[in-house]
Amino acid sequence: MTAVDFLNLLIAALLLAGTYAAMAVGMTVIYGVMKIVNLAHAGFLMLGAYFVYELHERAGLHPLLGVLLAFPAFYFLGVVVHWTLGRGVPVSDTPTLASLLLMFGLWLVLQNVGYLVWGTDDRAILTPMTFATIRFGEITIPKIGLVVFVSAIVSLAALEFVLHKTWFGRSIRALIQNRYSCRIVGIHVERTARMTFGLGIAFAGAAGGLLALLYPFSPDFGRPFLLRSFVIIVLGGLESFSGVFVGALILALVETFSILAVPSSYQPAISFSLLVVALIVLPGGVAGFASRMRSRRAG
Amino acid sequence: MSAAAQSPGAAARALRALPPLLLLGLLAALPFFDLGANQIKVLFLTFVSIGASVGWNILGGFAGQVSFGFAVFYGLGAYTTAVGINQGLSPYLTYPLAGAVAAVASLLVGLPTFRLRGPYFAIATIGVSEATRVIMTNLEFTGGASGYRITEHVPFRQGEHYYTGLILAACAVVVSIAVRQSRFGLGLRAIRDDQDAAADSGVNPYTYKLAAHALAAALTGAAGGVYARYAAFIDPEGVFGFPRSVGILLMPVIGGVNTIWGPVIGGGVYGVIEEELVARFPQIHLLLYGVLVMLIILFEPGGVVGLLQRLRRLVTRSKVA
Amino acid sequence: MAALLSVENLSKYFSGLAALDGVSFEIREHEIVGLIGPNGAGKTTLFSIIAGSQPPTSGTITFEGRDFTRVKPFHAVHAGIARTHQIPKPFLSMTVRENVEVGLRFGREQQSRNLEKQAMDILDLVGIASRAGTSAAALSVGDLKRLELARTLAARPRLLLCDEVCAGLTESEMQSILGLLRRIQSLGTTIIYVEHNLRAIVATCHHVIVLNFGKKLAEGPPEQMQNDPAVIESYIGKKGGA
Repeated sequence: MTAVDFLNLLIAALLLAGTYAAMAVGMTVIYGVMKIVNLAHAGFLMLGAYFVYELHERAGLHPLLGVLLAFPAFYFLGVVVHWTLGRGVPVSDTPTLASLLLMFGLWLVLQNVGYLVWGTDDRAILTPMTFATIRFGEITIPKIGLVVFVSAIVSLAALEFVLHKTWFGRSIRALIQNRYSCRIVGIHVERTARMTFGLGIAFAGAAGGLLALLYPFSPDFGRPFLLRSFVIIVLGGLESFSGVFVGALILALVETFSILAVPSSYQPAISFSLLVVALIVLPGGVAGFASRMRSRRAG
Repeated sequence: MSAAAQSPGAAARALRALPPLLLLGLLAALPFFDLGANQIKVLFLTFVSIGASVGWNILGGFAGQVSFGFAVFYGLGAYTTAVGINQGLSPYLTYPLAGAVAAVASLLVGLPTFRLRGPYFAIATIGVSEATRVIMTNLEFTGGASGYRITEHVPFRQGEHYYTGLILAACAVVVSIAVRQSRFGLGLRAIRDDQDAAADSGVNPYTYKLAAHALAAALTGAAGGVYARYAAFIDPEGVFGFPRSVGILLMPVIGGVNTIWGPVIGGGVYGVIEEELVARFPQIHLLLYGVLVMLIILFEPGGVVGLLQRLRRLVTRSKVA
Repeated sequence: MAALLSVENLSKYFSGLAALDGVSFEIREHEIVGLIGPNGAGKTTLFSIIAGSQPPTSGTITFEGRDFTRVKPFHAVHAGIARTHQIPKPFLSMTVRENVEVGLRFGREQQSRNLEKQAMDILDLVGIASRAGTSAAALSVGDLKRLELARTLAARPRLLLCDEVCAGLTESEMQSILGLLRRIQSLGTTIIYVEHNLRAIVATCHHVIVLNFGKKLAEGPPEQMQNDPAVIESYIGKKGGA
């Protein structure tokens, strides 16, 4: 394999990593604050894809604008869903099976609604960008991949800003650390949880829209991404955001370079195999491994 | 304990065993009444579903480890029976063999995934299901994506399948009751309530979870085997697919997870819905299940059994008043 | 008398912070040993490590002459080490009696006969026999602590680690728990007992170990500890206003 091929693959992996990170962030935010494993994340990814698609098909809206619109639209949707489900999504210290099954039920509903409205056929969002490529010397980059990557990075940067520079963001970080102290300090736990859920769904919807630019989609769209999000979270550690980046990068690299070694029909099994290996080698995820290293060095 | 102190307990137990035994007798006698072939088929499929449902519940209900990937064991059981029959084995030999294969597979799955707790474990099992489906789709030896056909040189006897299914379901329930009343079952309950406290009380969570998993997988695998012989044709998408895992999970949740009869009731409900609704409203059934699950979690986590218990309490309370 | 439990140079670091720092001591059979120290001194961490819930960063633990530095919790129970938790962890789906049954069936002696009688005996000893058929979810805090103790006793430990079993109890409740501990000790169990109430410590313990900031500060008979300036300082602060 030549250096150029290697570089092409590497860049493809990096672009993918950015998208994967945006995809997984929605799930991480909700889990970190509420300890709810949001299986319906897959359903919202799917709805985000169709949202951008419909806006593009019917209103001629540029997909990137559609993604931008998806943020507030899905934030609102997330808040409404959380408000409706109310007692089923309590803020808890540990993940509960009840919330897991509830989100699973929601996912089934979303998926079926998708089938009812859009049928089972695959759709795709096609724009002039879709097949265009950019060349840097010998390196070829698909334009759409670059666009999606930049959008993902921009939204993640915005998230970092919100988390570190706004009251809402700081409330979220505080809530992740210690729910009881938050009440003492005056943070309204339930309202923050609701807004966080909205934020997580907003990211799911927007990420779904971005992914729709890269892949064809059907109402079953979310499932492989759900598994990938989870692999990322296990690899990166469910409690930290830098972990999401690390996890996304590892997954993207493995998936991209595995093309060299594994026949393409086995590709869907890659992310799962990575998960198993990661679990055997690093039970606490990369973050757990890192903190163990730190404590060993200190002793 | 003196014999006198023992007999009231024994009498009460015998009384409680009466309704299920009557039901079993009724079901065994049913084919002798003029039942249509379609009704027999629905009942057979319900029995198979109950086998898998009760099996899943041993791990998911009793031990509290919710798995979204039990189609793996159903599918492995199905293919084991299918391949076995084609190789000349007696079908009745292949059913326990199917269970054994599934149990061994469950160990392979459980060893890495039981390091995860609760919901993390659940998601990991989705991946297991997917990976297995992908592998089986690519396996030429079993026909790959186009499926695998069983060729049996015996006439199709519906009665035989009916009773095989009934025996499977009955065995599953008996195993379930035995586990529930045993020391093993107590340990599983402790793990479900609080795994760390269970370990602090002397229960070995890892081996117990693996054992429950193996038992659950064996029952589900046997169910898959019984189904395969009946269907005579199986394919990876059908037996290994995520919808199959979902179905196996839905039954105990609807009927009442962590009970003996919940999975049985759930199996019945699921069997009827699948048969009646899927034909007429093919796109609705996922929606129905999703809404059912959400309603159950929000209002009556105990499922149908929980609902019935609540009704009974209301009735007895109004009698006292 | 040979030591039942011997802890040597035990340390536990969490990301550079020392929860335990080079702690060493010996426990002899049939003693009630008090473990005292301010909050955050490392007492619960020490219990956690001895019972196997966490591994130490360095150091060794020897129990009955065998190495017990890194054991799994259930293994420790089978060998005879059992602990109660500061915040009780009952099995909420079970009745009081069933909770105790878990300890009986899975503890050191793995009982299988006469379970109901044995469970009632233990519940009697602890004082909640009247609640045997009640669901654990319906108990008061005081009863939960007793249940925790009952379940731990059902495992028939040789060494019982009691973590603040008196916290939140009234004076009379505390006296009855202390009497209970003395009775357990007279029946052959060795006890390490974490407590903040110094009067309780003085009344019950033969021997006291003092921890602070993860280090062993002092060790000796309770009366001596009461008057030790370093111990007083760790609880109250320097004399004469600094």
